[in-house]
Amino acid sequence: MPNKINFNNFLLFDGAMGTMLQKYGIKMGELPESYNMLHPEIIEKIHSEYLGAGCDIITTNTFGANRYKLKNTQYSVEEIVESAVKIARSVAGDKFVALDIGPIGQLMEPLGTLSFNDAYDTFAEQIKIGAKYGADIILIETMSDIYEAKAAILAAKENSSLPVICTMSYQGDERTLTGTDPLTMVNILQGLGVDALGVNCSLGPNEMLPVIAEILKYSSIPVIVQPNAGLPKLVNGEAVFDVHAHEFAQYAKIMAEMGVTILGGCCGTTCEHIKAIKGELIQLIPVKRDVKRITAVSSPSLTVVLGEEIRVIGERINPTGKKKLKEALKSNNMDYILQEAINQRDAGADILDVNVGLPEIDELEVMVRAIKELQSVINLPLQIDSVRCDVIDAAVRIYNGKPLINSVNGKEDIMDSIFPIVKKYGACVIGLTIDEGGIPKTAEGRLKVASRIVERAAEYGIDKSDIIIDCLVLTASAQQSEVKETIRAVGLVKATLGVKTTLGVSNVSFGLPQRELLNKTFLAAALTAGLDAPILNPMSQAMMATIHAFNVLWNRDIASKKYIKTYSTFEGSPTIQGKQLTSNDRDLNRVIIDGMKEEAASLTKELLNTMTEMEVVNKYLIPSLDIVGQKYESGEIFLPQLLQSAETVKKSFEIIKERMMASKDKKLSKGTIVLATVRGDIHDIGKNIVKILLENYGFEVIDLGKDVHEDVVVEAVKNGNIKLVGLSALMTTTVRSMGETIKALRDNNLDCTVLVGGAVLNEEYAKMIGADYYAKDATQTVKFARKLFNCE
Amino acid sequence: MEIDKKEVLRYMGYKNQIIDDNMTLLIDECCLEMIDICRESSVYEIFDIERKNDQLFLLGSTLILKDSDIKNLLAHSKKCVVMAATLGTTVDSRISYYSRFNITKGLIMDACATTAIEYLCDELQNVVMQNALKDGLHITTRYSPGYGNFSINNQLEILNVLDAYKKIGLSVTENSIMLPRKSVTALIGLSKMVSPKPQVSCKSCKNVECNFRKDGGQCAK
Repeated sequence: MPNKINFNNFLLFDGAMGTMLQKYGIKMGELPESYNMLHPEIIEKIHSEYLGAGCDIITTNTFGANRYKLKNTQYSVEEIVESAVKIARSVAGDKFVALDIGPIGQLMEPLGTLSFNDAYDTFAEQIKIGAKYGADIILIETMSDIYEAKAAILAAKENSSLPVICTMSYQGDERTLTGTDPLTMVNILQGLGVDALGVNCSLGPNEMLPVIAEILKYSSIPVIVQPNAGLPKLVNGEAVFDVHAHEFAQYAKIMAEMGVTILGGCCGTTCEHIKAIKGELIQLIPVKRDVKRITAVSSPSLTVVLGEEIRVIGERINPTGKKKLKEALKSNNMDYILQEAINQRDAGADILDVNVGLPEIDELEVMVRAIKELQSVINLPLQIDSVRCDVIDAAVRIYNGKPLINSVNGKEDIMDSIFPIVKKYGACVIGLTIDEGGIPKTAEGRLKVASRIVERAAEYGIDKSDIIIDCLVLTASAQQSEVKETIRAVGLVKATLGVKTTLGVSNVSFGLPQRELLNKTFLAAALTAGLDAPILNPMSQAMMATIHAFNVLWNRDIASKKYIKTYSTFEGSPTIQGKQLTSNDRDLNRVIIDGMKEEAASLTKELLNTMTEMEVVNKYLIPSLDIVGQKYESGEIFLPQLLQSAETVKKSFEIIKERMMASKDKKLSKGTIVLATVRGDIHDIGKNIVKILLENYGFEVIDLGKDVHEDVVVEAVKNGNIKLVGLSALMTTTVRSMGETIKALRDNNLDCTVLVGGAVLNEEYAKMIGADYYAKDATQTVKFARKLFNCE
Repeated sequence: MEIDKKEVLRYMGYKNQIIDDNMTLLIDECCLEMIDICRESSVYEIFDIERKNDQLFLLGSTLILKDSDIKNLLAHSKKCVVMAATLGTTVDSRISYYSRFNITKGLIMDACATTAIEYLCDELQNVVMQNALKDGLHITTRYSPGYGNFSINNQLEILNVLDAYKKIGLSVTENSIMLPRKSVTALIGLSKMVSPKPQVSCKSCKNVECNFRKDGGQCAK
């Protein structure tokens, strides 16, 4: 058995398994892991050859040994992993055995159907078995999706005590296939507490150099590189790797001199390559690297670094004092929340705060759902905001990236419950300068609390670069004399502790008129004192303007590029959207039929000055929609034109709904309809088209999304006492789950009509699976719904 | 990457309706945006065909072809090209984004992507054809699992043979949906004879409700 692994020295991994197996005659498409059972002597021979070449670590033949890939084979995960580890162990002697964990081979949600928890369970199964039979290290490799890597790392750390190494594969554009750049990878993986991280596969050593340089710039843990033997070239119809051993080793030497300490080979590499690297490493000593820690939060494809430009944290997704958001949360209306996120992003927010705390809802469940939905739509990093520790824990766990937690403070019990989460998931955290004694009056008092937060974090192994201090803004109307203490505290905390800072700026003006004036003045002062990331409403142009201006004056917006881009065309520049209306076609009917959606809101508002909401609906929206529908059916317009009109009506409807909500007038809804794309299917454009048209006609739609399990449909129908359900499926393979969904509804004795649609369906097929009706397109669905709910 | 606007319109069921400037502009924008976000990649391998017991074996791989439509396609071929191509995941997430928040754009982007993946396959097929011609071989048409009676279940085996997940990030779900969505797997035969066209009729396809067929057109160009 080997000693404990020493990450301070060079470590040499073996080369490719697949390339060697090809040499021994494996067919393309054959399961490489089956050789553990069918030809253990070949696997043993390959390991021995690599050991003979001088490697320190051999990798088990378990790259694809997961339950998804083994599903339709005769092998179980247990027997494949067990045999692989045993074979490696039998020849390893005092060298190390790395349990190889490759990607599952399925795309994760939201792009695919593999959930985070299923990915975790899949990896956990492999890891438990690997650890049980004596692996020394876990090598999570060739990852393209950082979310999958996170699931694997958590599975490794929660189900074994072995060291964990994680590598990802990059494309020529220096991103992984799912869009992760090197900085983002380092920021996330290092936070998750791996022992080493790096890059493998896809590229040859030369093409990898820029990626490696970037990783080394940020990684304070050991870096591993396992390149392919060049880029594959097609010779006589066969892929050939043409970087030979000597050249490969020269690259390895360059990498070692750059600071890489763990080397090995991927596709196309053989014992010759490993032997040649060994020859170079013997003559070198590991380079000591001095990496400066940065404060940064990440989504899977974007990292926001604090301390350079001023970064804006958008505060809009927080129900406190927001009636519409409260309504949306209560009715599970995610679209509203997502629209708030999109608006803030478009207004220039860098990070979005997410708070869904309402007593009437299940905060944990809604938070998890909101995080998932938000991350499927925007790529800004998120700030997870809750007073409940269990909510933070659940949200941070399923978050894809390195989140910011809002918040911890100087209270002992809060620190003891939040810091373990920060450490485990590698998050950043906001520390509020308040403790058991309240908010200290003076700047010095707040510094004291901040210092204690930083010290206690260090005891949990959290670096101060992961802490952002909030010196807390008091309102000028109540504690006027203390407002400037906050500004002083920001300067003091930064100078003394060297941490980044944030402030919830708009608190300052609470209870006073012209709040924006106070807010932006306070903001400018705080920025001058060193505020890095204000929390504010990015929809406020005055606030954003102050930040743009500050970035110019403080030399952060280099050459005033952003400023000029934002303001040089501020006035009078022509927009490409929408033609200008002349006075005689300022008619909502015309606007809807022509699909000029930019005009709909203002015209609707105008009409509402002289008409009731229902009059606008009945005189304008419905008749225009009918005309558009007829035009579509007769072939006078085609689908995108129909949709353009539908979106125009939607804009108009939003104004009307807002008015009705404010006036608590009679209900607008003509009936509630549940829509879902069935389990296993992910095509939802068709369903979304049906949705917008139904909403246009005044129906309320509960959109369950895509890949929806039948239980979820049953639940929604039961809870909402729903009379009409629309199901869509696009594949012959998923029509089966459509049938199962209908059966589940019937089995639960739910009195609802089921309407189905989708490319592969027809009348006959619909009958066969037990549907009540088949609709060939969205307009037919609308007709049917209007009939069912007696709207005609 | 190039996107033929006529094709985009065809996928959206366009039949000479009058299109105003706004719509024209929007479609042009979408074409440009699609070209910008495509991260196209492809992979192919060529195998010798062995015929045994009424089945076609692609030598050196685990692929065995049994369905009559694909056997007909390869009736005179001595080699078979196995290919896979994809536009990448960004295209999926962008289409999904628009289909929720700007459905018109979602629909147009979807049509742009369909046009783009066909273009990518045509390009790849061109490379295959040029190389084959050097060896005195001609190509058949391109044929994908799910066409005619060529079972969609072959997708998984094709992706395994090409190691497509590792090489180009292409996977298939239990329900035979390829992810990323805008992807194609296909076979092309290489034969000494010029193959007569078209070998594959729309009528043998299982998708009887297909809009292209109703209109008397064809889904493939």
